[in-house]
Amino acid sequence: MTSIEVQALTKEYGTSRAVADLTFTVLPGRVTGFLGPNGAGKSTTMRLVLGLDRPTSGTATIGGRAYATLNEPLRHVGALLDAQAAHGSRTARDHLRALAVSNRVAVRRVDEVLEETGLTSVARRRVKTYSLGMRQRLGIAAALLGDPEVVMLDEPSNGLDPEGIIWIRALLRRLAGEGRTVLVSSHLMNETASFADHLVVLGRGRLLADTPMREFIDARVEPRVRVRTTDVTALKAALDRHGHDAVEHEDGHWTVRHARVDDIGRIASQAGVPLLELAAEEATLEQAYLDLTASETEFTAQRQEA
Amino acid sequence: MGFTPVLHSEWLKIRTLRSLPGALLALFAATTAFSALAGSDGSSDPDFDPLFTALSGVLPGQIAAISFGAMAVSSEYHGGALRLTLAAVPQRGRWFAAKVTAIAVPALLVGLVTACTAYVVARAGLGSAANGITTGEEVRGVLGCGIYLMLMALFAAGLTAVFRSGVATLSLLIPFILVVSFVIGDAAGTVADFLPDKAGQIVLHQTYDGTLGPWSGLAVTALWTTAALLAGAWSVRRRDA
Repeated sequence: MTSIEVQALTKEYGTSRAVADLTFTVLPGRVTGFLGPNGAGKSTTMRLVLGLDRPTSGTATIGGRAYATLNEPLRHVGALLDAQAAHGSRTARDHLRALAVSNRVAVRRVDEVLEETGLTSVARRRVKTYSLGMRQRLGIAAALLGDPEVVMLDEPSNGLDPEGIIWIRALLRRLAGEGRTVLVSSHLMNETASFADHLVVLGRGRLLADTPMREFIDARVEPRVRVRTTDVTALKAALDRHGHDAVEHEDGHWTVRHARVDDIGRIASQAGVPLLELAAEEATLEQAYLDLTASETEFTAQRQEA
Repeated sequence: MGFTPVLHSEWLKIRTLRSLPGALLALFAATTAFSALAGSDGSSDPDFDPLFTALSGVLPGQIAAISFGAMAVSSEYHGGALRLTLAAVPQRGRWFAAKVTAIAVPALLVGLVTACTAYVVARAGLGSAANGITTGEEVRGVLGCGIYLMLMALFAAGLTAVFRSGVATLSLLIPFILVVSFVIGDAAGTVADFLPDKAGQIVLHQTYDGTLGPWSGLAVTALWTTAALLAGAWSVRRRDA
């Protein structure tokens, strides 16, 4: 199985550090979400892994080998970096054919990936007539061309329509299910939450987190319970007795912080409070991410003062 | 990975971009048309050189050859195309060699066909005025013309890889060929003879005087082209894509 290993990777452009001492591993069989605000170093890291940019120091390898030493690399690694990479005056099919030929990938694969990305009917049209969503699909088709064990996609859902977003979610899950290594960068939290198993989070070129997505969220977001009742006073009294803090919302429901449904349900039942609604408030990746970046901002602010 | 698949891929890229075969067609059409025009114009000039008159369509025609070389490389510098290319072929030197070959071969072939056609058409117009041209001079002129056009296309290709822009290359080379070289060239002097286009054009003349002969002139152009290609290769290999 092939994984992506990044070791103490640093890339400086002049005096600014795009990537600073980055170390992480992307394992096969799961989708790794690559998160961070714009300019955090996600694309730079991907370029470094592909050997397109030279690192200032450190290494990036795929299955223990530098990308440039791979024989016919498209058969091992497929990448989407930029949806504008296909020349507007070429047809999608010719674009993919030229790529396939260079790595001795069978031309049959060109038609297969066109079919897979839903571009068959427009394959002989010039790329300049394509919408951004269609170009993204073409970029993904190019990434899948060599049937690679490692797939790296930079912001693949950019410009995709809702149907396309559902499609790519299923595609990423399937690729990981087939045991491939899948790294997908995004700055959209809800989107990433819908497909990622694992997260690598960057901020200003540094590694902020490398954890399973569930752990990432649970560690940062307090559990909350949403509850609605006909007897507000009784509920409030019962919660107070157990030391729970409840906040009322305008539409009449209450939020209990630091609590789980199991506890609140029992408390209400023991106190004989009639409940109309009792639900765990799903913690979102967005909340967890904002919490992380907020503490990160504090940290950098303090460092600058010192 | 081998050279042949990479070359095949680069050839496909040139074939499938309509403007590139278009530039080669323009090379043929413009050179032939201007040569035919020069041939029918007669020989009133005292400096009249029948071989050069017959091949003079190359002067405007070479712009198409330069455009071909520049555009074939500049298509890689649009919106991250080079990244995709180098992700497929990480051996950058090999990739650039394949690109250069895929430009050189069609440029040479079209250049030879163009030179042949232009010469035949212009010669028909010149009639007896061209009787003094020997078969050896004919072959030298046509062969040299094809090689010259290829070298100019490659010169532009190398510069485009250095500038990473076809527009930069064309806005440097076209004024250079149309104006600078023309003006300085007429002012004569040995330095002007060594300019990339002037040196290579000696092969198109029946008679020549100066330091360079037809083949040594072409060799000087080849040196310019080699320098441009080496600089281009260095740029492709050393810089971040």
